[in-house]
Amino acid sequence: MKLTALMQNRTALAGSAITALFIVVIIVGPMISPWGVDKHDFLSVLKPPSWEHPFGTDSLGRDVLTRALAGARVSLMISASGVLAAMALGITTGLFAGYLGGWFDAVVMRVVDLFFAFPAFVLALFLMVALGYGVVNVALAIMLVYMPIFARLTRNTTEVVRDDAYVQAARIMGQGTPRILFREILPNISAPIMVQASIAVAFGIIIESGLSFIGLGVQPPTPSLGVIMADGQEYFRRAPWVLTMTGLTVTTALLALNLLGDGLRDLADPRLKARDS
Amino acid sequence: MPSGLKYLLTRLAGSLVTMLIGTMVVFFVMKLAPGDPALVVLGDFATPESIAAFNAKHGLDAPLMVQYLNWLGGLARLDFGDSLSVSSGEDIAALLMFRLPNTLFIGIYAILIAVLLSLVLGTLAAVNRGNAIDTGATSLAVLGVSMPDFWFGYMLILGLSIGLGLFPSYGFAPPSESVLGALHSGFLPALAIAAPMAAVFTRTLRTALIENLDREHVTVAKALGHPPRFRFLHHVFRNSVIPFIVVIGLQVRYLLGGVVIIERIFGINGVGSLMVEAAFARDYFVVQACAVVFLAIVLAVNYIVDLICIMLDPRRAR
Repeated sequence: MKLTALMQNRTALAGSAITALFIVVIIVGPMISPWGVDKHDFLSVLKPPSWEHPFGTDSLGRDVLTRALAGARVSLMISASGVLAAMALGITTGLFAGYLGGWFDAVVMRVVDLFFAFPAFVLALFLMVALGYGVVNVALAIMLVYMPIFARLTRNTTEVVRDDAYVQAARIMGQGTPRILFREILPNISAPIMVQASIAVAFGIIIESGLSFIGLGVQPPTPSLGVIMADGQEYFRRAPWVLTMTGLTVTTALLALNLLGDGLRDLADPRLKARDS
Repeated sequence: MPSGLKYLLTRLAGSLVTMLIGTMVVFFVMKLAPGDPALVVLGDFATPESIAAFNAKHGLDAPLMVQYLNWLGGLARLDFGDSLSVSSGEDIAALLMFRLPNTLFIGIYAILIAVLLSLVLGTLAAVNRGNAIDTGATSLAVLGVSMPDFWFGYMLILGLSIGLGLFPSYGFAPPSESVLGALHSGFLPALAIAAPMAAVFTRTLRTALIENLDREHVTVAKALGHPPRFRFLHHVFRNSVIPFIVVIGLQVRYLLGGVVIIERIFGINGVGSLMVEAAFARDYFVVQACAVVFLAIVLAVNYIVDLICIMLDPRRAR
């Protein structure tokens, strides 16, 4: 996948531009904001959006914009680390299962099928009860939700290219199995994996914010998007902006990641073009 | 044996094996949970004697494998044991029987809304491929998958309930009392759950329709002078139905995830809200039971989807 090709696809371009911009804003934003993430101000409690506080203030007078940006940083970190761990484990198992076949493949696929039968969020919720709440366990839950998805995807694509000429050539040259898998096969099947990765990070943010929203995920005072929305929900009727604006931040991040995923998919498989056709 | 029947029986056996392994995972992972069930019920200052008595009463003093087999035997007879703390001492099966209809009602309601929305949007997008209507419909679909469903639920409350006063913002009239009341009070939660599903359905239907529009038999039908409406329904739509139904089956996993949070927000007494309440109360028996029920629903729906697919296209059974 070449950079020039990426620039020519409008969806991919928009997706990667907004994602990049979003990441810059959530890193720089809280730093240059005149308000602290946890700075209470009891003289300006529950103020509606204004120039001073574009997203308004919450029940402790904290600036919601600053908190939403800091929360987005926490949520994105949790989701991305969960997905990265899922990729590392899922891709490795998938490569071996698809390449070796046989009983290893059969066992791996049975386990994957089982994971697929659990509703993703129910699985995450169940794990929170079993493992306990907190940042690390939310990331762990996201990893367990996504590992089977990456394993199945990698396994199916590996199986297709397993007997291609370049793989046979590597085999004849005497390359070891791990080298063939990671140096020859993986680069050739990376496109669909990248598509899945950007969508997974988006959905991971939904899992994090959902768990934290009902109080079973990240715990306050750590600000994550879900924690802030849970707080805003408590006084939603009096000050709807806290939940509304934080949710809008989530939607923006997800929109960017989904556009990026769509764009990458168009590039990887022009036949399935989702838009612009 | 006809190949269709054989296929369905093999599939059924596969689902039962998955269910069995699923119950094992649920049971043994739950044993990792922090906190002793006895302490949850009896409090931190329970005497060793009362803890021993509690464990003996619930069979928790037996070896793990025996505990599992007892629990599994109970499941087979639809006996889930008694609730520990969320509804202390009550039969879990009774709790589930009371709440399951509400969850199923909201779930099916949401699927119907999503199917209706996507049939309109997906068809409009495919027929108008490349122009403004298509862009509008596909953009709406991307937006749909990008909104957390619980947030969208609150936006619906803000607009349609607090703003316009059309629907209640909290509370649900169970369908067992009044179907009309359930349709009315369940509309916002069902719509919130339906939005991301409708988005996925729309994209699937659009892609399937576009692929079929370009196929040779459609061109032949055009050459033979079949009218456009007949051509679309008979030659294009019929062939696009299967991927559409398959994706409905796949999305049930996400649907049930949405149900969990949405039930809690809208105060619906369903299996999802029960699971969350039980999680807070550390009622491990109820959490286990809910997880198994959700697993069973997903497996059942996927089985039915398979059934419908091979009825529509018997070639799939081979």
